[in-house]
Order: sequence, then C-alpha cells, then structure tokens
Amino acid sequence: MSTPILRLEHVTKRFRGLVATNDVSFAVPEGSICSLIGPNGAGKSTIFNLVTGYLAPSEGHIFFGKTRIDGTPTTQLARAGIARCFQIAKPFADLSVRENVRIGALFGRDGARDIAAVTDDALALTGLSDLAGRPAGDMTVGYLRRLELARAIAARPVLLLADEPCAGLNATETEDIVTILRLVRDRGVSVLLVEHDMQAVMRVSDQIFVLDAGALIAAGPPEAIAGDPRVIAAYLGTEAVE
Amino acid sequence: MSIVLLIVAAAVPFMVMPFYVRVGQLILLSAALGLAWTLLGGFAGYWSFGHAAFIGLGAFSAGLFETELMKGQPLLGFGLGLIVGGVVCALAAAVVAWPILRLRGIYFAVAMLGVSQVLAELTNNVDVFKGSMGLVLPRIAAFGLRPEALFYDVLLIATVVVGCIAFAIKNGRIGAGLMAIREDEDTARMLGVPTERYKIMMFILSAALTGALGVIYAHSLGYITTSSVYRTEFSLNMIVYNLLGGMGTLVGPFLGSAVMVILTQVVLGRLLSIHMFITGALLVLLVLAAPKGIIGLFKGGLFGGRAKG
Repeated sequence: MSTPILRLEHVTKRFRGLVATNDVSFAVPEGSICSLIGPNGAGKSTIFNLVTGYLAPSEGHIFFGKTRIDGTPTTQLARAGIARCFQIAKPFADLSVRENVRIGALFGRDGARDIAAVTDDALALTGLSDLAGRPAGDMTVGYLRRLELARAIAARPVLLLADEPCAGLNATETEDIVTILRLVRDRGVSVLLVEHDMQAVMRVSDQIFVLDAGALIAAGPPEAIAGDPRVIAAYLGTEAVE
Repeated sequence: MSIVLLIVAAAVPFMVMPFYVRVGQLILLSAALGLAWTLLGGFAGYWSFGHAAFIGLGAFSAGLFETELMKGQPLLGFGLGLIVGGVVCALAAAVVAWPILRLRGIYFAVAMLGVSQVLAELTNNVDVFKGSMGLVLPRIAAFGLRPEALFYDVLLIATVVVGCIAFAIKNGRIGAGLMAIREDEDTARMLGVPTERYKIMMFILSAALTGALGVIYAHSLGYITTSSVYRTEFSLNMIVYNLLGGMGTLVGPFLGSAVMVILTQVVLGRLLSIHMFITGALLVLLVLAAPKGIIGLFKGGLFGGRAKG
C-alpha cells in the first residue's frame, strides 16, 4: 500500500484541563474522500486546526505524505499543498468572485502555474463562471460555499480539508457541493471532510472516521459505519442500541 | 502624455506666486506621505497612528549625519542624508516589526502611537539628538533655484518615485496578498499568503519612504525641533488623506491631500480663528457622505457603497 496522504499518530490536544482530541490515529489514503463525523464537541474542528497548523498537538505526530507537519506554520502547509474551506465562509467581501479565486491561484501550492487558467478552471469546476464579476459580499450562502471551494481549488491542493461545506444548504445545493467534491477527488486531490449532513457523508465518502468526546470510536467504509452500534450510541445515546 | 504633465508640473513654481508654490509643496509632501502610509495601512489594513515617528526619525538622523559628518558638502550631504534617513527608519521598523505586527487592528494603531511618543521623547530629552534646542540643517542650493522652487521639484520627484513604488506593489502578486491580509488574515494564511513576511516588508518600506520624506521636509524647513517633525498631526493627516480620497487606492492620497491642503491653506486661510473648526466639520460631513472616499463617490454615488464593518 502506498503512503497515505495524511496520517495522524496518537494525536492528543489538551487545552489546559480539557482534552479536545484524545490519542487519535487515522490515515487518509491518497486520492480518496474521507469524512470525519461525530457529535458537536467531538474534536473535529480541533483536528482540522491541528492539520492546518493553527494548533500544535500536545502529543503525537501528524504526517503529510512522508513529512512530519505537526507545528508547521499554516502558510508553509498551504504552500506544501494543504488547503482548507472554512465552515463559516470567509470570502474577501470587497473583491469580486474572480479576484477571490485569483488570490488562491496567485498563492497556494508552490510551483509554476498559469494564474488566469487556474482561476478560470476553478470557477468552471464550481459553476461560478457566470458570476465571476459579482462582488463576493453579495452572494447567498450556497454560492459562498462554492466560492470557498473554488478559492481552495485554485490553490491547487494535494489535500483539501472541507469544514461542513453543506451546512445550512438545501438538497439541491448539497447535491452541487457533493458533485464538486467528487470532481476534485477525480483529479487526484485527497479530501478530508467534516460534515453533519449524513446523507451527503454516506454517499461521498470512501472512509469514515467517527469521533466522540475527543476519541476515535470507529473507522471504516460507509456501510460498516452505518450499522456500527458504537456510532449509533454516540449519536443517539446508548438506550437506542439496547 | 504623462511626461508632458510632469514637465508642466515641474515648471509650476516658476510661474506662480511663492505662496502657491508652498501650497503645491504641501500637497506633494502630503500625497507622498499618504502613499507611503497606505503601503501598509491602506493595502494591508494595518493602520499606523504613529507614522510621524518616521518623519521625525528620518529628519533627525539625516540632520545629525549631515551637520556632523558632511560639513561643507551640503548637496552631497542631502543626497546621502536621504539614504541615511531612509535606512535608519527601515532599521527601526525592522526592530519593532516583530513584536508590534503581531497586534491586529486598533492594538497595532495604538502601539505605533506609542512608538512615536517614545522616539519623540528620546529626541527631546537626550542632548546628543538636539531635539529640544533644535538642529539647523545645511542650506542646499542647486542650479540657482529659489529654495521653495527647489523643494517643490524635489518633492515632485519624490512623489513620483513613491507613487511608482506603490503602483508596482499594488498591481503585483504582493498587492493581492496584502489585499487578502486586509480582508481576512486567517484566510490569507490558509491560502498560502506569507502574511508575516509581507507585513514586515511593507512596514519597513513604508517607514523608509516616510523617513526619506521626513528628510526632505526637514530641509524645506531649514531648522527643526522635536515638535516640528514629531507631529501627531502628521500621523493623523496621513490617515485622513487616505480616508478622504479613498482608502487602499493610489489616487486617494492625491485627492485627499489636495482637498485638505487647499481647504485649510487657501480657502480657509483667511479665517484663521475658526478654520480648524470648519475643517473638522467638513471632514465629518465628507466621511459620512462618502465613506469610501472621494474616489468611492465616482463609483458608488453619494451615501452609497458604505464600507462594510
């Protein structure tokens, strides 16, 4: 088996007394879509912050390919090929959609690129070509999520972290996001997804990792996760299982 | 076209009364200072409330250099003084950059105000710096020009140079990165913008240019004290020119400084007792009516395009 694109080894993060993630280990195979699920407060966002260098683990190590990256500054990780979409879309509101995406193309992963071509391609992939001239601040939530994805795609990532890209979207909009994620994966980009919309997660994921109270309680393909009593218990309470 | 315009602008001091040459000087100096400030303030959104620190530091370091080490060579002294003033400010900025550029928003602004006060106090109270008794700068005369005409043209050149630098930055890759920092610094980092490096680079460049402008200003005064160069008013005006003209734009500082200088020096110059009051009131009105500056008026119309929180 080839080296996974992302590997967490016994990662623990404590905030003073609080243990946000407890001895978490998992691996994202290259070219797959993996999802991180779990109730609120399970430690999903902490893991994203650890992987993107906003936080450093208290214990354990994180590997991006063969490189150890825990504690590496965010900018450097972005240049190595890790991109992230935020849960609350953070567009550059004063700039046009195109300018927003162009910044991703100008920066992002190191290497030669044709800025205009990369920008146009990311806009096309996310279905934003027609809205390219609009100010980003005027867009609806559904389009903001696409913009968030477009900007990250323009950064030419090797690994894309998407933080609840479907939250608050209707069924059609969710479908669009799922399609975009699949297109991204088909280009060889590995995706790590945090998402509450279980239908979307089940359909799009190759692997699912389930967190509860900071610990990894289950891992496997969607079919295995759906029937796992520990997962059902974590979501619905133990009474539901018995 | 622009070359013709420059030649005409350069010839202005030989055609108008000395008073208007001084008004022209002031507009150019203000525009150049506004541009130097906006490299960090307007482009990256890091508003310094203490850029007068670099005017003062540039003026005094060059002044001391010229009077102590360049006796008898005023013109060469001035040329080297520009470099000394710029380099000293760049070094000072490099020293304070690391701690204070970690501060965001109002905290950075206030920290810069503090830096400015500290430098002013040092210049004033440490005798070597001659801040309290004052420093007489070597008179420079060149090409048989009258002093006000000479400094007008020196400032014109300086403004063009600073303008070209600002233009190159704004339209380059770094300009896009600075804009991303201004809009959302965390997202900028996530996209791979080297935020720390860009901020420090702009801070140093902005300080160096402001310092060099301070040297020119000091020479145009001829005699400087702490209070004539470390003026809080300068720090505030650099912001006002940008706000008034259009924050983050290249034309903004020109528009803002022209409007402010003409308003305070020419239109209200005869109403000395109340002119600051009227200026203040007009400023409030302008900022309310055109939150994106005069340049924003052309784009968004009156009361339109209000800046987002």
